[in-house]
Amino acid sequence: MKFDKIDNAIIKNLKVDARTSFREIARKLKVSPDTVSNRFGKLQKEGIIIDTTVVIDPSKIGYSFIARFGIKVKPAYSSQILDKIITISSIIVASKIVGVYDLVAVSVVKNFQHLCDLRETILEMPYVERVEIGMWVKTMELSPQYFLI
Amino acid sequence: MSGKRMDEIDVKILRMLQKDARTPFKEIADHCNVTIDTIKNRFIALKERGVIRGSTIVIDPKKMGLGNLVILGIRVVERYSDSVLNMIKKIPGLCVATKAIGKYDLEAIFLLNDIEQIGTTKEMIEDFPQVKSVDIGIFVDKPLLCPKNFEFDQVIL
Repeated sequence: MKFDKIDNAIIKNLKVDARTSFREIARKLKVSPDTVSNRFGKLQKEGIIIDTTVVIDPSKIGYSFIARFGIKVKPAYSSQILDKIITISSIIVASKIVGVYDLVAVSVVKNFQHLCDLRETILEMPYVERVEIGMWVKTMELSPQYFLI
Repeated sequence: MSGKRMDEIDVKILRMLQKDARTPFKEIADHCNVTIDTIKNRFIALKERGVIRGSTIVIDPKKMGLGNLVILGIRVVERYSDSVLNMIKKIPGLCVATKAIGKYDLEAIFLLNDIEQIGTTKEMIEDFPQVKSVDIGIFVDKPLLCPKNFEFDQVIL
């Protein structure tokens, strides 16, 4: 898909504030609000815009640090396990990877007990062979913007 | 810290906006049985307290032609993690870099165009004299995001 001026303006405006009204974007572009609304729908349908969301500061809602889980699984089971991991409520991002691990997941963590629980939850999933943890120090700068540009 | 607890309305606002940041306040208001103004004021208050830092769209980087996400685990000579971190922060494509406790001393996530750039970025970091080793993981497919799942019922503001 090719992007024109309108698509780019929609993405640019909504990236900074997802609640920007279509009317406001339309006025800047000198097109009708319907045009903007239709384009937005198209960008969503094509899977270019995956979601709109508010960016919440994890430290303000009871989380104290971030941990990265590196997960080794039995060959051919990574998709299945990824689907389970992504449903864990504190996971921010998870993906299959090529390299040292098969899967990587980044999670916000409340305290040490919570970290142990998370590790066990993942370890108890069938076909998970090993879970390694990296605790991120002093990084609470977390927003989806950091993961998807 | 005001010691004020988030109430049901705050939690509902956060949850609904996490799922869809464009949800009209009217819809949230109807859902909570309060006025639109209440929701507006609560939204502003949540922003002022820094609970809501903003809103954004999540984009598939590949469909935008933006390349691959890469995670790096870096081991450095003792006591040099800060200086290496500062150097890494200057490398183009960086999404997040942090000191870490565990197998690696530093961890970083980059958004890079192609295998070639992944290679040069890795070498660039390996060239720092205080770096012992660099492990690399390349994200396959689009990473699954679930910022919408944060639990926050128990929270005291």
